[in-house]
Amino acid sequence: MTVCRLSGDAQPRLQGRETMIELRKVSKSFETRGRSVKALDTINLSVREHEFVALVGPSGCGKSTVLNMLAGLMDPSAGEVTYRGERVSGANRRVGYMTQKDTLLPWRTVEDNIRIALELRCRSSEAGERGARLREIIDLVGLNGFEKHYPSEISGGMRKRAALARMLIYEPETLLLDEPFGALDAQLKIIMQRELLRITRVRNMTVVFVTHDLAEAVTLADRVCVFSGRPGRIRAEREVLAAEPRDVVGMRFTPEFGALAEDLWNELKDDVGKELTT
Amino acid sequence: MAAALKDVWIPRAVLLALALASWEWAGHSANGEWISRPSAIVIRLGEMIGAGLHIDIAVTLGEISAGLAIGGPAGVLLGLWLGRSPLAAGLLSPVVVALNSIPFVALAPLMIMWFGLGVLPKIVLVALVTFFIMFFNAYSGVLAVDRDLIDGLWLMGAAPDEAFRKVVLPGAAAWIMSGLKSAVPYALIGATVGEMMLARRGIGHLVTQAASQFDMTGVYAALFVLMVLGIVLSEAVALTEARLLRWRK
Repeated sequence: MTVCRLSGDAQPRLQGRETMIELRKVSKSFETRGRSVKALDTINLSVREHEFVALVGPSGCGKSTVLNMLAGLMDPSAGEVTYRGERVSGANRRVGYMTQKDTLLPWRTVEDNIRIALELRCRSSEAGERGARLREIIDLVGLNGFEKHYPSEISGGMRKRAALARMLIYEPETLLLDEPFGALDAQLKIIMQRELLRITRVRNMTVVFVTHDLAEAVTLADRVCVFSGRPGRIRAEREVLAAEPRDVVGMRFTPEFGALAEDLWNELKDDVGKELTT
Repeated sequence: MAAALKDVWIPRAVLLALALASWEWAGHSANGEWISRPSAIVIRLGEMIGAGLHIDIAVTLGEISAGLAIGGPAGVLLGLWLGRSPLAAGLLSPVVVALNSIPFVALAPLMIMWFGLGVLPKIVLVALVTFFIMFFNAYSGVLAVDRDLIDGLWLMGAAPDEAFRKVVLPGAAAWIMSGLKSAVPYALIGATVGEMMLARRGIGHLVTQAASQFDMTGVYAALFVLMVLGIVLSEAVALTEARLLRWRK
């Protein structure tokens, strides 16, 4: 795999880390109207502990399907998905999953939605501690003043932030994020990217991040995987080395960043072009 | 909004006054006794209140409440159960559907033969009617819960009963409330029909009693009471719904 060094003093971050997630020769087909459509074709992907992997590719290339399989909500048609060496079958409760569609409960206020994971029996905590964490996380995603609002009363971007907070509050060891910042404006996106990096580094989280924003992928990820259009295959992989802590704004203006983004765009553009012309 | 409402209230009042005035005028014409007159109905209502109308209202309301209190929860529980268990649904839902196809009015004579002339047959009738309505709503409510919401909670580590309590139940609540909204008018129909068949008290009984004596004013007065009762009950449910389902916009 090609290693791209974004600054001279960048050091590999993940040496000696064990494999956390592995997809081996995974294919997935869906039945629609009696016809079988292949969404993923023989994917091999492994993610190490504490690694931040970004999946980019044209829409419909099966990126979300990969996340669904990692979460255990879908089984592969062929091949094997393992998590910490164990085959994933049924809901994988060690991951936090933020789907493209936010799954906030419409009858709960923003703060009650964020708190829900802490209410579950498997995660019993004291009310005082819960309240402190809730305030901290609401502050983090900038939803102060909207705690008592219902999801129907806030914007799409705010719902995304609430969903993110709901996932972060219980600190799962792995985060699966499906275009989490797609609906946010540019400034907020940068703030959220910086916070995501900070939190995941501090808590040593493993992240699989789906996006169609190449710059976002390069900014955040230790490794970027480019998918081809349907059926999805991994077309290219680039390891990104950058000085820690990453400066999510500053690093964009370096020539190395530009070169890598262009390189990834070249891998992506054939499929995107195909999509644009059809 | 407030201004628009005010604008509508004035023409509404005018329209109502016109309608009542022409009714009054028509009631004074030849054969007018068949349609009675608003003034006569008001006087009759006054007499009825003096003669214990409140007892008849209490009887009818009591039948409705008791019937709802039995049929409602039973229907909801069965609906939730069948919604959760496909096996039970496959087994029982044809039976429920078949029973529900019987027009419930046709059951009234049977109820009276089984349970006599008191309030019991009316309560059973109301319970039956509301049972089916609440059942179908609760059942559809469980089936309509967004699968993704349940998956989301599963991944957070929820146990099956927690997912049910925190997602399925509140999700179905909107359906159950709308079930209650349609069940209440049906409960009123059920109680009235029962009383019209055979009864000693109740507003349905007042209607048939007046009709058997060709007392048109009495019929209209009793119908008016039924109308007011229907409006009050429906409004009460709508108010409860608005309070419980504040999250719906």
